[in-house]
Amino acid sequence: MKKLRTGMALAATATFALSLAACSSGGSTDDASGGASGDGEAMGNSLTVWAWDPAFNIYALQEAEKVYQADHPDFTLDIQEVTWEDLQTKLTTLAQSQEFGELPDIFLMQNNAFQKNVINYPDLFTDITDSGVAFDEFPEGVTAYSTVDGMNYGVPFDAGTAINAMRTDILEEAGLTLDDFTDITWDEYIALGEQVLEKTGKPMLSGIAGEPDTILMMLQSAGQSLFDDQGNPTITDNAALAASIDLYSEMVEKGIYLEVNSWDEYIASIVNGNVASTINGVWISGSIQTAEDQSGLWGVTDLPAVDGIDGATHYSANGGSSWAVSSNADVALAEDFLSATFAGSTELYDTILPGAGAVANWLPAGDSEVYSEPQEFFGGQAIYADVLSFAAGVPANNTGAYYYEARDAVGAAITQIMGGADPATALGEAQSTVEFAMN
Amino acid sequence: MTSKLREVPKYAFLSIVALLSVGPLYFMVVSATNTSQDVLASSMLPGTNLLANWQSLTEFQDVGAAMYHSTVNAVLTTVLALVVSSIAGYGFEVYHSPNKDRLMWVLMLAMMIPFAATMIPLFQLFADLGMVNSAFAVVLPVIATPLLILLFRQSARSFPHEIIEAARMDGLKEFSIFWKMFVPTMRPTYAAAAVITFMAAWNNFLWPKVILVNSDYQTMPMLISNFTGGYVIDYGALMLAVLIASLPTIVIFFVLQRSFVAGFTGVVK
Repeated sequence: MKKLRTGMALAATATFALSLAACSSGGSTDDASGGASGDGEAMGNSLTVWAWDPAFNIYALQEAEKVYQADHPDFTLDIQEVTWEDLQTKLTTLAQSQEFGELPDIFLMQNNAFQKNVINYPDLFTDITDSGVAFDEFPEGVTAYSTVDGMNYGVPFDAGTAINAMRTDILEEAGLTLDDFTDITWDEYIALGEQVLEKTGKPMLSGIAGEPDTILMMLQSAGQSLFDDQGNPTITDNAALAASIDLYSEMVEKGIYLEVNSWDEYIASIVNGNVASTINGVWISGSIQTAEDQSGLWGVTDLPAVDGIDGATHYSANGGSSWAVSSNADVALAEDFLSATFAGSTELYDTILPGAGAVANWLPAGDSEVYSEPQEFFGGQAIYADVLSFAAGVPANNTGAYYYEARDAVGAAITQIMGGADPATALGEAQSTVEFAMN
Repeated sequence: MTSKLREVPKYAFLSIVALLSVGPLYFMVVSATNTSQDVLASSMLPGTNLLANWQSLTEFQDVGAAMYHSTVNAVLTTVLALVVSSIAGYGFEVYHSPNKDRLMWVLMLAMMIPFAATMIPLFQLFADLGMVNSAFAVVLPVIATPLLILLFRQSARSFPHEIIEAARMDGLKEFSIFWKMFVPTMRPTYAAAAVITFMAAWNNFLWPKVILVNSDYQTMPMLISNFTGGYVIDYGALMLAVLIASLPTIVIFFVLQRSFVAGFTGVVK
């Protein structure tokens, strides 16, 4: 009797285990067929997309699906939520194990990582240069991220245009206005920042210690990158980078720039009103607006220009992303979907701007009236029209295949410089770290 | 009286340590009821935003499905790992073979290989078997862990061999000796092993993320990860998700707490 009971228990466990496995793997075959059908075949009516951020990218995809469905009633989009870090891990795994069959039709890619992925794993992508997507309707600085050797691999989506978002009430307390910060240089900015600090006790900016975001935005605004046109690192002998680092250290020393330890602390410093402003991609406005009690107290202007550098502008970018068509895609459908929506629908951009604060890169969308609507949170300023005018002036940034290596190396160098190391030595080390990684 | 006074610093120290350990847990629970802005302001008081956090958590995320997949993966892992590793640990101790120790060395060496190094070949293997997205693909690589085998081997060492001899004399088959004599005696070891395996399986992130290509099969840690991937992070909803994800491991730990300690300190005294 006892033996029977034991046997039954084991059998029950085994059945349980097998049935679970069966139900899960059953699902996976559905998924594979729902995914992609490969080029050359007739156009299907379903696309799988990998993207992150339900409130932003995925929302935009859902709206794009609706726009496309107007002309293609049977069309469906299977949106898989994958964070950017996870997406990169999946792409790397699939590329290295050569299992391209598991790729979706379309995936979202960080602009800064685009060239790295195309150069290292060209087999993941489909060249969409001749797809009918009007690439000339995007700013050149933006298509440059997803262009390798003159071929286009991505449709730009999220701009990442940099804004200088300021608390007008804090400025007022210091006897200043937004106009005082418009079209100025960093030297002037620091002088005004000292005034704000003295009157209100609040630093101007905050940022994560050891992360070079602010410095890289300064660098790009001056029309320079960490790499030259041939893809060689230009960390040493880079006057714009040296000037940006000097300005940054000066601000930290004077207490105008508050260094924090994490992203959460950075966001907290803004929404808790511990700083007078922030400079970041326009997407930061989403986080700013979670502080509902600060409605009407914010304004947006352009960035200060780096002093003494030829070609320095008031415009830059941080972040941003583009859509890539995978090598496992229903290419015809994916290309048609992207040209009809993200590269061709004013209606789409008119919906997702107020819905998610997603600012278009696609130039024709900027003519829409939606962009000139006053934003209550920003004191009635039509910030999106301003952002579009900033976007047109952003210099291109050459990211290359080793952008993240260079970025990390510069971050480490800045930490050393802030700790008192000689800038030339620290940057020289960063340069050789990147050169070593490239060899 | 003096001896009691001498205890004061000890208790003061322990109280501080206890507060430090409970602090983050308390913050997690409280934050689940606060708005994102209050969480960022490190509010330590309970708020009234629990319902709103639940709504924004479930607006974009299927918590039920993620909990289900996490439970299936963790239970399956725990059951299979206990069976496989306890038989292995018992075998290593009870049976004698000249190559036994060499095999154990290989197992111990395997512990030192980082998972990232084996991940891609493993993915290729499962993809070739057509097992991408299946619960078995999540579970199989983690059911035979050197740590568990070692734990069972150690506890089998304290299991009196005379009992095994006596049982053999009385005609019990080898598997029945294991099943009827060893397993009931080693219950605390099983409980300890169950707790650590369940927790590890529940929190497992990298491998499930890679092998579960279709996010319909995502687990709780992956759901939480999604929360931190956007431009705007809703910290209140994030804390609620973390709280929900911690509940099963907390419950399991408290239920098996007593055995957990006994399982590590030795069963047969």
